[in-house]
Amino acid sequence: MLELFLFVGLPYAATIVCIVGTVRRFKYDRYGITTLSSQFLEGKKMLWGSAPWHIGILTVFLGHFVAFLVPGVWQRLMAIPSLLTIAETLGMAASLICLVGLIVLIFRRATTARLQKTTKLADFIVALLLLGQIALGLMIAGGFRWGASWSTGTLAPYIWSLITLGPDISVIRDMPVIIQAHIVGAWLIVFIFPFTRLIHMITVPIHYLMRSPQKVVWTNPRRNASAVVARADQNSRRHFIKASLGLSAAGLLLSVGVLDKLGRFFQMPGLHHDEEADLLETRLRRLQLTAEEKQLELERLRSNEIYVSKLSDLNGSTGKYFIDYAMRPGLAFRSEDGWPMLLSAKCTHLGCTVGNQVDANGKILCPCHVSYFDVKTGLPNEGAPAKAPLDRIAWIVRDEQGAEIATESSRGSRTGRIDPQMAEYYSLYIVRSLSAEA
Amino acid sequence: MKRSFVASTFDFLSSRLPIEKLSFKHMVTEKDVPVHRMSWGYYVGGLALFFFIIQVVTGLMLLFYYEPTVSEAHESVEYITHFVTMGALVRNLHAWSASFMIFCVITHMLTSLAMKAFAKPREITWIAGVLLLLVTFGFGFTGYLLPWNQIAVNATKVGLASIDQVGQYLPAALSHLAEDVRVTIQGAPAIGQATLSRFFALHVVILPLLVLGVIGLHLLSVQLHGMSPGIEEKPVRKEKFFPFFILKDFKEWGIAFLVVFVLALCLPFDSLFPYPLLEPYNALGSTPDGIKPEWYFYFVYYPMELLPFWIIIVVMTTANLGLFAAPWIFKGASHKFMRWIASAIAAYLIIMTLFGESIYHAIKG
Repeated sequence: MLELFLFVGLPYAATIVCIVGTVRRFKYDRYGITTLSSQFLEGKKMLWGSAPWHIGILTVFLGHFVAFLVPGVWQRLMAIPSLLTIAETLGMAASLICLVGLIVLIFRRATTARLQKTTKLADFIVALLLLGQIALGLMIAGGFRWGASWSTGTLAPYIWSLITLGPDISVIRDMPVIIQAHIVGAWLIVFIFPFTRLIHMITVPIHYLMRSPQKVVWTNPRRNASAVVARADQNSRRHFIKASLGLSAAGLLLSVGVLDKLGRFFQMPGLHHDEEADLLETRLRRLQLTAEEKQLELERLRSNEIYVSKLSDLNGSTGKYFIDYAMRPGLAFRSEDGWPMLLSAKCTHLGCTVGNQVDANGKILCPCHVSYFDVKTGLPNEGAPAKAPLDRIAWIVRDEQGAEIATESSRGSRTGRIDPQMAEYYSLYIVRSLSAEA
Repeated sequence: MKRSFVASTFDFLSSRLPIEKLSFKHMVTEKDVPVHRMSWGYYVGGLALFFFIIQVVTGLMLLFYYEPTVSEAHESVEYITHFVTMGALVRNLHAWSASFMIFCVITHMLTSLAMKAFAKPREITWIAGVLLLLVTFGFGFTGYLLPWNQIAVNATKVGLASIDQVGQYLPAALSHLAEDVRVTIQGAPAIGQATLSRFFALHVVILPLLVLGVIGLHLLSVQLHGMSPGIEEKPVRKEKFFPFFILKDFKEWGIAFLVVFVLALCLPFDSLFPYPLLEPYNALGSTPDGIKPEWYFYFVYYPMELLPFWIIIVVMTTANLGLFAAPWIFKGASHKFMRWIASAIAAYLIIMTLFGESIYHAIKG
């Protein structure tokens, strides 16, 4: 019976009283819909009480309101652990903030004689009711964790059952007393709403946030004189606060997004062992390539002659790349008379590697800046970016027994004789002793 | 009587670095920013600084994974791009923000030129700025090599080989000097591990240290002298640096960050190149087609392709000396004339950067 009264009767009674009372007061006491500002009676503690109180209570109220208004959406949001943590933390922090504010405000009322002249009994009832309600809320938040999540399946259906005029208190009935007290407290606050200063809520001056601040002051000539300056000052401070708030909010959002993305950069990427193997294989291949390159270098430092190719494998249309003594690319061709032709493949313009395909004019192309080089002479075409001819590379041809058959120095002087029929048995080497550096 | 050299040097320094203005009151409370039609130029330097900060942060992040060796560099960059969580994002941020930074630095130079911001007593600010411009190009050039892919190494090769070209204009006895310089920069006759190590050291340690030092001088002298007026007439309106201008500055930073972040998320910098250029560098193969430097070198690269080399040397040397000496060369010039000069340079840079390639093909066929 008591339960029915507290959770069904009281809510409906409170709502009816609240609506009727508010309309009535709006009609007969329009200018009384106010908190009776006391800022000019006492201003210092006011700031430290009123601001945290309002910021905190509005945040808490908004949280309750959204959870009850759209429980389905809210529940899905709260299923994300990080969001749930954020909501609970925000809620608790906000309650603490408004608790502190409220205590400061009560203390202020209690210790300022000027204020007590304008304080009514209703004000103390409101204050105590709110204080109790917040304390209960904090206790619930601490004692029955994750209320942001469980309330959607318990309290929200209860509220909706009242709204849809089919009261269902089955869930509420078995809840801990402390939660029940919180619910009853809420209905009591609704009940006394029209008779107290709480009613100032419906005339919230939201546009105050946008307009220049006004301050209620005692007037006297001295103040009048400095008022204009003060106003200008306030304006710039207001601009600064607005802008920095906006910027910090934007900065916060940005950094949350950025940190969410970039924070994971430092975690070890969890690779599948197949991926890991592929990766290792590629790395190993690169290491081997480097090792081969070093090998080539070592060979060029140590030996006087280096094998390029079998003479019969060379032709006049596609050059074979090799690495010369300076570790630069070279190209080996074979002319119609059967003699090898060895050119440096390093473009004399800016050092790109020249292509190995001989075109119809007997020229090879450097793709970087389009210089054509004659394969026979190494000379660049007229007007090419490259001015100097490609270097000739000294070579020696040996037969299968290693006997010297023919040579050419890097200046182009030849010795020996090459029999094209025997090309299959001849091997071509580059040789250090005949090159210009030697 | 002529004053002694030491005394006049002291005078010069004390009027250029007025340490007595080193106070909170002067540098924060009383600092004004003139408001006029070129005021937007005052933001560009700050933006360049912001992009530099991004470069430092993302650069340090990349250092966690990058390995500066010939055999590992390319693999480690691939690893960052494909395997490290958000590695591609960090790398793209670094690449995009580098381009933005260079763009801002150049624009900053041009607007300062147009506003005659180098005029007495701001010569030191200007010279430090020109140094920073050159160092920024150094960052671009050295950083380009580090991924060790085909385009990186080959483009660097081409860039360095242009040093050799200077040799032909030197007297015979000195003609090997150019090549010596190149080999010293490369660390070896051919580009290889030595070059990579050197460029790495330059890119991640030496140039950043240099920038920190010079930027300190640059910002200090900006704060000591306040904003340059920018126009000949007396500004109609002034804005407080703190709190108004600095907030707008931060706002610009926020927008810039959004732009570069979204770009980095959506558009890999690599996607602007055909794949063969991004393969690991092959020392033994031929140079692939399409080797070119980054866009911010086009203004010198395409003329270099088209004109005799000595013209490039003369123009580059003159331009560099002219930049350093601008405060003295243009001492008596009007603001209008400076705006003309800056516009002309800007027009040249824009045309060469956007249409350099087309011009090159139109002429070379």
